[in-house]
Amino acid sequence: MKKLVSILLVVAMLTLTLSLASCSSESSDRTLNLFTWAGMFPDEVIADFEAKTGIEVNYVNFDYDETMLAKLQAANGGDYDLVIADDYIIEVAIAEGLVQKLDTAKLPSLKNVNPLYQGQFYDPTDEYTVPYGAGVQTIVYNPAKINLDIRGYADLWDASLADQVGIISNYRVINGMALKTMGESYNITDTAKIAAAGEKLQSLAPNIRLIKDDNIQDDLLSGEIDAAIMYTSQVTVAKMTNPDLKVVFPEEGIGFGIMAMFIPSQAPDSEAAHEFIEYILDPEVSAKCYEYLGYYCTNAAADALISEEYRSFLTLPTEFSADQMEMIGNITPEADAAHLEAFTAFREACE
Amino acid sequence: MIKKAKGATLALLPLYLFALVFVVGPLILMLVLSFAPQDGWSYGTGFTWDNYRAVFSASYLNIFATSLKLAVIATLAVIVIGYPFGLCTALLPGKWTRFFVASQMIPYWVNSLLRLYGWIIIFRANGLLDQVLMGVGLTAEPLKLLYTYPAVVVGMIYVLLPFMFTSVYQVAEKLDLSLVEASRDLGAGGVRTFCSVILPMTLPGLKTGVVLTFIPSMGLFFIAQILGGNKTVLVGSLIEELLMKAHNQPGAAALSVILMLMTAVVCVFLLRRAKWQK
Repeated sequence: MKKLVSILLVVAMLTLTLSLASCSSESSDRTLNLFTWAGMFPDEVIADFEAKTGIEVNYVNFDYDETMLAKLQAANGGDYDLVIADDYIIEVAIAEGLVQKLDTAKLPSLKNVNPLYQGQFYDPTDEYTVPYGAGVQTIVYNPAKINLDIRGYADLWDASLADQVGIISNYRVINGMALKTMGESYNITDTAKIAAAGEKLQSLAPNIRLIKDDNIQDDLLSGEIDAAIMYTSQVTVAKMTNPDLKVVFPEEGIGFGIMAMFIPSQAPDSEAAHEFIEYILDPEVSAKCYEYLGYYCTNAAADALISEEYRSFLTLPTEFSADQMEMIGNITPEADAAHLEAFTAFREACE
Repeated sequence: MIKKAKGATLALLPLYLFALVFVVGPLILMLVLSFAPQDGWSYGTGFTWDNYRAVFSASYLNIFATSLKLAVIATLAVIVIGYPFGLCTALLPGKWTRFFVASQMIPYWVNSLLRLYGWIIIFRANGLLDQVLMGVGLTAEPLKLLYTYPAVVVGMIYVLLPFMFTSVYQVAEKLDLSLVEASRDLGAGGVRTFCSVILPMTLPGLKTGVVLTFIPSMGLFFIAQILGGNKTVLVGSLIEELLMKAHNQPGAAALSVILMLMTAVVCVFLLRRAKWQK
């Protein structure tokens, strides 16, 4: 009896698996394997794309750019149709031949991309990538608690801000502040100048209350700090919680980073990837995406469609010119080591 | 008898294999990596002392000194609080012993990271402590307590105290009280009895407690990050920075090797002394 039951069970399970297998192969003939961080698109946008094109989106997540690169290397540029990742890692991926050139004939909406974000170090000729959101370095402060009219990084050194400033623990951004006040580029490789910026940064130490990467906006909102250098997504959260906070584009210049879409060299369905990029570049779709994402809009045609409450911190002022903006790019290992050393000494000085 | 021993060895084999693969293996890997040259995003092949040279540069030595200082402060504080606490708990009547042991253990059913966030609620501006202090009129304005060095020390003591408490308690529980009585009968005072009877007999527990406190305190950098605002630079946070931000795996490996050697020296020193005393 027992035996009979188990045989029946096995038969039942087999039929179930077989029917499921046939089911999944029938349901959709085209799939877009989208590989990026979690939470990059509103569900609505993905669902609309699927309804419009009949292409099923298979959303696969990674946590870190480095994980993405490792998986792409292991798959030899295959497995995924479209990847969205950070600028610096894309430079590596392109150099390793893991990225294919875009077919611009299939992307008429490329003209919508904000030229300020084009022609950057990771893809100087824009042959491989389309920007999807930018992180822009701003200063955020609470005017109710700070009497100073902060206009640039140099103002953070003001003695009235003692023990009131919080910063992220990102040495390229923070050392870069000091470099900017000295009139230097974010990306200089002269280690002596980086060390000099480190020296300058040490005099900022009395004003620093907190160095923190995760959720630093909470400290600004709770009043633990009154001015902050934060990541863009954190600025967005802070501004949405407390609209009275002021977001300043530093007068010394704007450092930024870009997230961009690219198609891996051996993408199973690069056609679907092109369709998806074209769909996202639609101004109305873009506006929805950036409001959801909380990063700066890289689609110039969508800027005007971003609702008023977000516009001041998700779009750049139209009068900005390219020479006010500078990407924080990859530098030599020696320069990077000099940055880390300068930043470590600065952190010690903050204690 | 022989057959039994053989069975035991076989039963332990999975454990040995596990240790070999997941403990010894990674350690060897780390040692090898610490001598590899950094190569852009990754590491190259070859042999170099550069990573160790960097460890012994002035700024890195400074960080070792900071870590050591914090570890020593935390360990001393934990001895001062934890030793008498453990000892007295063991000497209390049974009901109270159980109560105090439970009071030490139950909070540790919750993850230590979560409990540290609890301290933020206490320390933050207008937080619990501020409200109490201002309520009784000791301070007029909110103090800036969070993101300071004392906050880090409090966090360290809080996390490490149970290790000292349990180590001391376990030894003190087995303390033969007739020896204490004998000492008193022979005319020794309280201090004398403590120094020549109680302390020597509970010393193994104290030592275990020091090892269990000091070693983790060298690596507990997340407390400095959460309660200290990341301004106290510890070896642990430098290793994290090298790995996550600077993509310098060989440098991180070299620092880890030195950190492990330092703690190993402390361990060997304390444990050898214990053997010699027996």
